[in-house]
Amino acid sequence: MESMKTFKEALSYGDRNNLNFKFMAHLSDEEAADFIERSFDLMEDLLNGKSPNALRNHIIEGQKKVYSKSGKFSYETGFFHPLGKSLSEATIGLLTSSGHFLKGEDPMPFGKEAMKQEEAVARIADFLRERPQLSIIPKTAESEDLEVRHGGYDISGAELDANITFPIDRMKAFEKGHQIGTLSDDLYSFVGACAQGALKEVMKNNWIDQIKDRGIEGMVLVPV
Amino acid sequence: MLEEEGIATVVIATEVFEERLTSMKLPRILFTAYPMGRPLGYPNQKEVQEQILKEGLRLLEESKNFTIKHFGGNDR
Repeated sequence: MESMKTFKEALSYGDRNNLNFKFMAHLSDEEAADFIERSFDLMEDLLNGKSPNALRNHIIEGQKKVYSKSGKFSYETGFFHPLGKSLSEATIGLLTSSGHFLKGEDPMPFGKEAMKQEEAVARIADFLRERPQLSIIPKTAESEDLEVRHGGYDISGAELDANITFPIDRMKAFEKGHQIGTLSDDLYSFVGACAQGALKEVMKNNWIDQIKDRGIEGMVLVPV
Repeated sequence: MLEEEGIATVVIATEVFEERLTSMKLPRILFTAYPMGRPLGYPNQKEVQEQILKEGLRLLEESKNFTIKHFGGNDR
């Protein structure tokens, strides 16, 4: 018989992998049982026609319980740079860790052509050791021109609507409506599940120069 | 790192990562009440996406110092 421990662990890159619920592997058996029991109660509410929001919030609270803890990148101080001008005069960029890329410009992780999401999930440990690759997405692209692949989160929502993790259509509308001065010609995305030391290194030695060359003054960052 | 290079930034992230991101002393953060993988809300909610981005851009423009804000979500 499958124990609660085995079940929980299987949700995190195991036989029962589920990227929305992999956090359960880090709950105690009792916490996991309580989470499931409460989920059933809230599903019962759905069956009775109630709003899905209570169930959604329950899932958020479960994820938060595990993921919100301070990571190893905790700092006492940080840098703050003011935009120094109004948004309507500024050049704004977009950088996300969502794993988007333009169709036909697959970054081909590990040299693999057309890697499927399932393989990215299966190779998450490899990704976490890998230097991230920056995908440049021209602002002339539409959200329908994008693909997404990322072994660290459930991409099903982003596949339905790229804007929930890479809000290209909304940013373009803001430029058209003059709420921002200019949207940078190039927008950026990478797979955030990568070697964090290497990420800092490529950002410092390579990406920042590209970003500065585009004249970007303010950047919307979307970690996923 | 971008701030050191003279580029103002705003992070838009789900509150699932609240403590972790707060501890990184990032200059401007807008937390949203959505699950992991959906920082700008559920798919095809164009108005919600606009509101979140507007709030984030407002932080970018108006913040004079480190600022953390929350955007509402599921009627919370």
